[in-house]
Amino acid sequence: MDAIEVNNLVKSFREKNKLIKAVDNISFSVKKGEIFGLLGPNGAGKTTTLNILNGLISKDSGEIKILGLDPEQNELNWESVKNKINVSTAYYSLSEQLTIRQNLKVYAMLYNIKNIQEKIDQLLQMFELKSLDNRKVVQLSSGEKTRVSLCKGFINDPEVLFLDECTVGLDPDIAEKTREIIRDYQEQKGTTIIFTSHYMYEVEELCNRIAFMNNGRIIKIDTAGNFKKLIKKTSIELTIKENYPALMKIMKERNIDILSTGTNTVVFEVSSSTDQLYKLMNMIFKAGVKISDMHMNKPTLEDIFIQFARKKQRVR
Amino acid sequence: MKWYRIKALLLKYFYISINSVDRWFDIFYWPVIDIFVWGFASFYIKELSNFNLLSVLMGGVILWIFVWKSSQDIATFVLEDFWARNLYNLFSSPMRISEHVTSIVLFAFIRGLISFCFLILLAFLLYSFNIFALPILFIAAAVFILSLFGWVIGLFVVSLILRFGQRIQILAWSIVWVVQPFSCVFYPLSSIPSWAKPIAIFLPTTYVFENMRAFFLEGRAINYGELLYSFILTLFLMIIVGFFLYRSYAKAKQSGMLAKGD
Ligand SMILES: Nc1ncnc2c1ncn2[C@@H]1O[C@H](COP(=O)(O)OP(=O)(O)OP(=O)(O)O)[C@@H](O)[C@H]1O
Ligand SMILES: [Mg+2]
Repeated sequence: MDAIEVNNLVKSFREKNKLIKAVDNISFSVKKGEIFGLLGPNGAGKTTTLNILNGLISKDSGEIKILGLDPEQNELNWESVKNKINVSTAYYSLSEQLTIRQNLKVYAMLYNIKNIQEKIDQLLQMFELKSLDNRKVVQLSSGEKTRVSLCKGFINDPEVLFLDECTVGLDPDIAEKTREIIRDYQEQKGTTIIFTSHYMYEVEELCNRIAFMNNGRIIKIDTAGNFKKLIKKTSIELTIKENYPALMKIMKERNIDILSTGTNTVVFEVSSSTDQLYKLMNMIFKAGVKISDMHMNKPTLEDIFIQFARKKQRVR
Repeated sequence: MKWYRIKALLLKYFYISINSVDRWFDIFYWPVIDIFVWGFASFYIKELSNFNLLSVLMGGVILWIFVWKSSQDIATFVLEDFWARNLYNLFSSPMRISEHVTSIVLFAFIRGLISFCFLILLAFLLYSFNIFALPILFIAAAVFILSLFGWVIGLFVVSLILRFGQRIQILAWSIVWVVQPFSCVFYPLSSIPSWAKPIAIFLPTTYVFENMRAFFLEGRAINYGELLYSFILTLFLMIIVGFFLYRSYAKAKQSGMLAKGD
């Protein structure tokens, strides 16, 4: 059984007589213990999808199943599902007039946690908030608020966790630690996680699979590695010490795509998937060209993102 | 409904109350001002006409607190969650709508009760006004009906907030003051203009204050039949508002209001 199953999900919003299709017939499933990434440009429908799954927004049509239950069937199903899931986002804080500890206590009680104090202490320790625990949320910096939201997300040891841009506003050190916490936690408890973020390295580092969304649709679901293979070209920048003309001659003969040249530099593109680069470099060395520096720009998830985001039509 | 979740929400509202000066202020400040204003007004009236309205006015101020506090606290606490963009976290938790409503209503009632006790004490100390001159059964019935009516107004405002968002928040503060003039809190039904009478007759609050006045001024016995009618009327309004509220929650889930919070 998959932890999450979504079939033909549709959701539109009515905004001043206009119909906005936020989620347009998407289907996907997430295995137990998987970290599943939702990637896509602003307004793609990622947050809407998550909010349908955590019960904040009702769907127009389609099916959802969380941990084997259809929560939309009745209120009791929602209650039982919501006890086992949790959400965290940087954009919605907890009650601002309450201190961190008071907030977490309220949520611990809502989720019927045993050993409340112990659990809260453990979470505060984890997200380095211990020294701030008696400060009101309103007084915290945005990164600190984000960490409080994360504490809340973990408070019921959820079986399924929705993380919607949960690392926004964190400094690099804490962001790195947070990713570590998420990964360790996931490994320990086998939590299923759906993760959205606009930081590509983060998605690449954490997610087993990624669904790319645009205009309310899922364009493609695959691993980060496979996504990157979609970009055919690698760009290479060479700085030449000796014999620049010989290099340019080879480039011309071999019909290489040159992107730009300088007095002693050249930037060109080769295919990522074949051994074109290997053959080319061999010829360059044999011709006696001396290279003083070399840069290779492999395609990143970011390149894929930009390529997909600018394409309006469906790839698949 | 699970009691532990209601307890969690009550704790949250309690924390908000003790953490913020505003929320303390609410309980005491305005009610106390009312006690002074109406107390002094009654002195003046007595000076002019030798007519003693003190008990009628004090009774009005003290009992009205339940309508006022219940309605305003309910709206305020929900709005506060809106402002703090906290509905997102609340509604993604296992909390059910019935638990949300129960906890707010209970908490508003407790706060109303605190104001009530404080006003009773103050009116006694300042003007030797003793509300317990009224039959205890009447006081109990009045507290019950007026609170219930306050919940009707408060939950009506909450329904509107869920539909239209914070932009209608002004209603939260003002609606109870629209109802007050027609509730005959400080003057009898017979004294208001004829166009306003149908409204007053429709409001359950009117019967509570009419009976209180009749008891104080004419020494007439309380007409419990009228109170029963008033209770049934309130209950009827409550059922309508309950239905409206339930629909509004569904609408909010549809429009994304719960997730957006603005
Ligand atoms: N409550 C709402 N009412 C009306 N339109 C909405 C509502 N919520 C979302 N939308 C619209 O639905 C579309 C999808 O929004 P959504 O928030 O799901 O995007 P997203 O992928 O999370 O974007 P971002 O990366 O900016 O967070 C957008 O066009 C948005 O304007
Ligand atoms: Mg989003």
